[in-house]
Amino acid sequence: MFVSLYENMMNVTPVDMGLWISGFMLVTVLIGVRVAFAAAIAGFLGLLWFFTAKLGFEKGFWVAVKMAGTVPHSKVSTSALSLIPVFILIGFLAYHAGLTRALFEAAKRWVAWLPGGMALATVFSTAGFAAVSGASVATSAVFARIAIPEMLRIGYDKRFAAGVVAASGTLASLIPPSAILVIYAIIVEQDVGSLLMAGFLPGAVSALIYASLVIGLAMRNPKLGPPVGGFTWAERFNVLPGTFPIFFVIGIIIFSVYGGWGTPTEAGALGAFVIFCIAVYKGMKWSTFRDALMEASKLTVMIFSIIWGVLLYVRFLGFADLPHAFSDWIAGIDQNPMITLIFILMGYAILGMFMDAIGMLLLTLPVVFPAVIALNGGPDVTAVDSAFGVSAVGCAIWFGIIVVKMAEFCLITPPIGLNCFVVAGVRPELSVQDVFRGVTPFFFADMITIGVLIAFPGIVLWLPGVIMGIV
Amino acid sequence: MSGSSTILEDDSLLSRFDRYYFKFESLLNLIGGLVIFIIVLLAVANILGRKLLGIPVSGYIDWTEQSMVFFAFCGIAYCQRLGGHIRMDILVSKLRRRALWSFELVSTLIMLTITVLLIMGSFDHFLRAWTFGDSSLDIDLPIWPAKLVVPVMLTVLAIRFCINIWGYTRAIIEGGDTAIAVPLIEDARTQADNEAKTVSGASVDNEEIK
Repeated sequence: MFVSLYENMMNVTPVDMGLWISGFMLVTVLIGVRVAFAAAIAGFLGLLWFFTAKLGFEKGFWVAVKMAGTVPHSKVSTSALSLIPVFILIGFLAYHAGLTRALFEAAKRWVAWLPGGMALATVFSTAGFAAVSGASVATSAVFARIAIPEMLRIGYDKRFAAGVVAASGTLASLIPPSAILVIYAIIVEQDVGSLLMAGFLPGAVSALIYASLVIGLAMRNPKLGPPVGGFTWAERFNVLPGTFPIFFVIGIIIFSVYGGWGTPTEAGALGAFVIFCIAVYKGMKWSTFRDALMEASKLTVMIFSIIWGVLLYVRFLGFADLPHAFSDWIAGIDQNPMITLIFILMGYAILGMFMDAIGMLLLTLPVVFPAVIALNGGPDVTAVDSAFGVSAVGCAIWFGIIVVKMAEFCLITPPIGLNCFVVAGVRPELSVQDVFRGVTPFFFADMITIGVLIAFPGIVLWLPGVIMGIV
Repeated sequence: MSGSSTILEDDSLLSRFDRYYFKFESLLNLIGGLVIFIIVLLAVANILGRKLLGIPVSGYIDWTEQSMVFFAFCGIAYCQRLGGHIRMDILVSKLRRRALWSFELVSTLIMLTITVLLIMGSFDHFLRAWTFGDSSLDIDLPIWPAKLVVPVMLTVLAIRFCINIWGYTRAIIEGGDTAIAVPLIEDARTQADNEAKTVSGASVDNEEIK
């Protein structure tokens, strides 16, 4: 029986191997194997199967071992990836340097007189914090501590306050520098700079939509968030110097990346160094600095492990030709490509309810991304001939922004919307249900944003187009 | 995001070994963190040197690329000890006692298997660089030290997996509700609480609401 099973396995086509191995990976992820290792073992077994079919077991085994063994070192040693730890470090240092609190204080004094003003201040200061940090869950945790107590103190509705914070945290994933966009760029082999740039306008649009929503809700029901007046112009200007470092860092990053002054890593490093100096000036202790380094290192290792694990799986997929087969199938479906795209995005919405955004994107993109490109008309298509009205490069960027926005949208949806749990976890007076209820209007706002981004790719592609000439 | 799970301790041999080993893992993780900071300083020196003095750091890209394996791998066992590698626990979190520990044991064995295979492969990768004297493109840095980091750190991780396997096996034999020296699955609230601690640096709620 085993002999015939072995013989049958050796006669399987590569595409079928790809399907079996992908199914195996899904099972291992479901039974709780850590994503990085589930992808890695799937990739290894795939290589083993492929080469055993070609060369026999003994030779095939060693080819698979050697091939797999090169992936962790060679895939990780790419200088573009050095951006990730640097931006992670910026986030932790900015918090310890007290920059986030200064930002919130400034936003409060400038916009709190509007209806729902403190909530507005939260939206704007999170957007500002997002511009130096790249992780949304951390952003929510930070602002849950800073903004919620102040809002409750002046009589804000607690669900409203919590919802604003949970939703605003998701802005970090689009407003550059975003760790998740860098990872997307690496996996789909696109320019990191263009993706970071492309995230800016959609991030700003999201923030503005949130802001209008806050004002609208507070005007309809003034009890949600009463305006706070009484700040003099002197007070408003006095608070600005504390926020200069943030604007300085944003300035450096924009200037370096967009002006071609340095690489994104260099820009980030300069920003991290400035924030480090401020933190030292403000009396940061070695133990605090050590904690920031430990956290940054742990987060970095987690992200890099998934990157090499998934790339090992991608290595096998290349042999199995599965992405190609999947694209052919998707492109061959006889219906409007836009409807197919919307189905794919809905698939992400469902998957995102159960999985971490980074893991979800890394596991699915190797197969889904080529299919989306094929749907648009192939890797060489021009905007005029394409299905979505964007060139192949444009489509890669546009899809990246939408899919990342989608993944972040899942951070505020039940059952495991992590941002909501974080906010509830930080504030004992709030239950998870309170936060989910408070975040509901933002949930609808996000659906509108995603719809707008799908309908008008120009919002995503305008900035990279102007600066880098992508059409 | 990478979280941190609760790890129970007692005075058994397993737990003592786990804690000593964790100190070693923490040190390695700190080295990873310091390398990140060094990368930052190097990049700052490079951009300022190039723009202000016209002298970039010699071999900047080579140094960056060679140092990346340090922060990508040094903390790998530390991250596993704290349950920081992301996973989907929506199914296993429904299980209790022996059923739970058995599933955890199986998935840890799977992870140990791939780690051992990768140690073999990456050591071979190092050996080739060592034998043929591979070096980097710009300033001819030898590549073998960076390649050696991978199998060494994966070995540290494999030992951590063995400690986990020890812990799960003991839990299966005892059949109790909790296990020693393994990352426990937590409900989302505890997870979020731990997450919040990492950015606040102290206990989560020390601000009074007036």
